[in-house]
Amino acid sequence: MDLDANRSLIAAALGRIPQGDRAALQTVYRLTSAKLFGICLRILGEHGEAEDVLQEVYVTVWRKAADFDAGRASPMSWLIAIARNRSIDRLRASRTSRNMDAIDVAADIADTAVRADAALESAQEHAKLHACLGELATHERAALRGAFFDGNTYEDLAARMKVPLGTMKSWIRRAMFKLKACLQR
Amino acid sequence: MSDTFDHNGLPEDEVLAAEYALGVLDGAERAAAEQRVARERGFARLVAAWEERLAPWAAAIPELAPPPHVWNRITDALPAQEQHAGLWQNLAFWRGFGLAAGTLAAACLAALIYLGVSQQEPLVATIEGGGQRHFVATIDVKRSTVAIVPAAFRAEASRIPELWLIPADGRPRAVGLLRADAPVTFTLSPELAALAKTDAVLAVSLEPPGGSTTGLPTGPVIGTGKLTNL
Repeated sequence: MDLDANRSLIAAALGRIPQGDRAALQTVYRLTSAKLFGICLRILGEHGEAEDVLQEVYVTVWRKAADFDAGRASPMSWLIAIARNRSIDRLRASRTSRNMDAIDVAADIADTAVRADAALESAQEHAKLHACLGELATHERAALRGAFFDGNTYEDLAARMKVPLGTMKSWIRRAMFKLKACLQR
Repeated sequence: MSDTFDHNGLPEDEVLAAEYALGVLDGAERAAAEQRVARERGFARLVAAWEERLAPWAAAIPELAPPPHVWNRITDALPAQEQHAGLWQNLAFWRGFGLAAGTLAAACLAALIYLGVSQQEPLVATIEGGGQRHFVATIDVKRSTVAIVPAAFRAEASRIPELWLIPADGRPRAVGLLRADAPVTFTLSPELAALAKTDAVLAVSLEPPGGSTTGLPTGPVIGTGKLTNL
């Protein structure tokens, strides 16, 4: 399906949810649940938990759809943030990150595998983010990746990359601001 | 919003927003940031901007269709349909003003400060309509008082704003007359206090001086807001 058409379908369906329109929630679910389930599963690493959290995600969407502002945010970004936040909350409640393997910076490769099926987000935004991630130092990119995909905390990342906590905080903060500056260019 | 900077020279609120959106905060820090997202519109926007920047990265995660029972569990977890439809049918005449759900603004904090004490679970509502935030209401559940602070409400000479509480049954109950230039506090009757729960709606209509004499809004409803827990 055409990406922009998909985006406006999701945005329009989100707009009908505050009126109690269950069919609209079902439309959002049909168009986005595979992506969001993938995200929950990536962070939580376990099917049962990912299913529980996915349920919470769409109940949250039902309750908070009125907060979504189509003029300000992309519907997928809004949904992805809910899925990541709910998954991270679940991780924090169990007090462990699933993936705590040591991160070997030398083995880090840039995310060259840009997926053609990347679907709902515009390919252009995706390419731009990847170009900007590519401008970061390898250790910075590796740290951000651990946070984004594994739901790691600062402490987790410091342990995985064997650096002091303060160093990790500096890496992440500087990396985020480099990323922002690059995306604004 | 603070304009202070960390030791790297980065603005602190922006750093916190980035950290929250990325997900690196733990425990109390994460909870505190979450609270600020719910309460401070400016901070929520910083977080949303970071979420927008990072979201395309999720395209790198393979999609996987969830098993069919997940959708059934979601529909089971939604609030009962009849109740919802009923409320909306009864509220059909509010349409065009839009129910403002959930978004809590800094003005809510002003209302809390006005109350001057830290409450146990106060209820708040932002009364919005026509793209304007007119009033912010805070209900002190323990003392059964409601404080209404005018936000962007513009007074009219011939009509005065009246506050209504609309519980789940959809029938508006008169609370009292408001002022455009000053906060007003009412003590709720035990009957009204019992109805002032989350998901009840506060509405403001414009009425002749002295207020509606029919027990229902007679003038235009200029704004509504759902009661939520802070």
